[in-house]
Amino acid sequence: MFILSILPEAAIHIIFGLGILGTIAGFVLGFIPFVKTYKLAIQVISLLVLVLGVYLEGGLADYKEWELRVKEMEAKVAQAEAQSANKNIEIQEKIVEKTKVVREKGKDIIKYVDKEVIKKEEVIKYIENCPVPKEIIDLHNQATELNKAATK
Amino acid sequence: MKYLLILLLLAGCTTTVPVKQKFPNATPELMKKCENLKKIEGDKVAITEMLKVIVYNYSLYHECSTKVDGWQDWYNEQKKIFDSVK
Repeated sequence: MFILSILPEAAIHIIFGLGILGTIAGFVLGFIPFVKTYKLAIQVISLLVLVLGVYLEGGLADYKEWELRVKEMEAKVAQAEAQSANKNIEIQEKIVEKTKVVREKGKDIIKYVDKEVIKKEEVIKYIENCPVPKEIIDLHNQATELNKAATK
Repeated sequence: MKYLLILLLLAGCTTTVPVKQKFPNATPELMKKCENLKKIEGDKVAITEMLKVIVYNYSLYHECSTKVDGWQDWYNEQKKIFDSVK
């Protein structure tokens, strides 16, 4: 409720208290001369103040409950954000490690081809006599750009 | 009486208290794009040169596939965390 953000909590309790006191005065203390003179006015005004007081007290209780829930929610969100950040670090480390392994293994195979495979006699003969035809190279190169066909 | 009525009317107005959950950032590694595949250079190429390019491209594929796995992991984990806030 908007009014709860303006009115201090004490004011709400005072309104409620005044409502109760006024109602008691208007309905029970009718024998006092001053009250007797303004009985009807006191009864009407105090009933209105009491209704307002009860309404505001109810609103205040509801407001406090919501405030508590908001705080709970804020704590949960903060916890979730921390969890999320931790998970991100975990995932980042996992990907970096996997990528490193893949890259190194690939390099190892290429090194093996350069150092060992090339030295083998049958491979040397094959390299000398059978270069890869240009058509096959072109097809391979076309295949490397298959993704570009989809972006056109 | 007029002021009392205004006060009563205002009393019903609500104020919203937003609790915003921030959209989680993806890890920097996941944001990197996959590299383009390597082409074979030259007209007369030895089979070993071709093999090296193919091996290199395989490793690029596996690097990229690691990223896709990472994205799936990231989504599943972040969804679990997001859903736990209720």
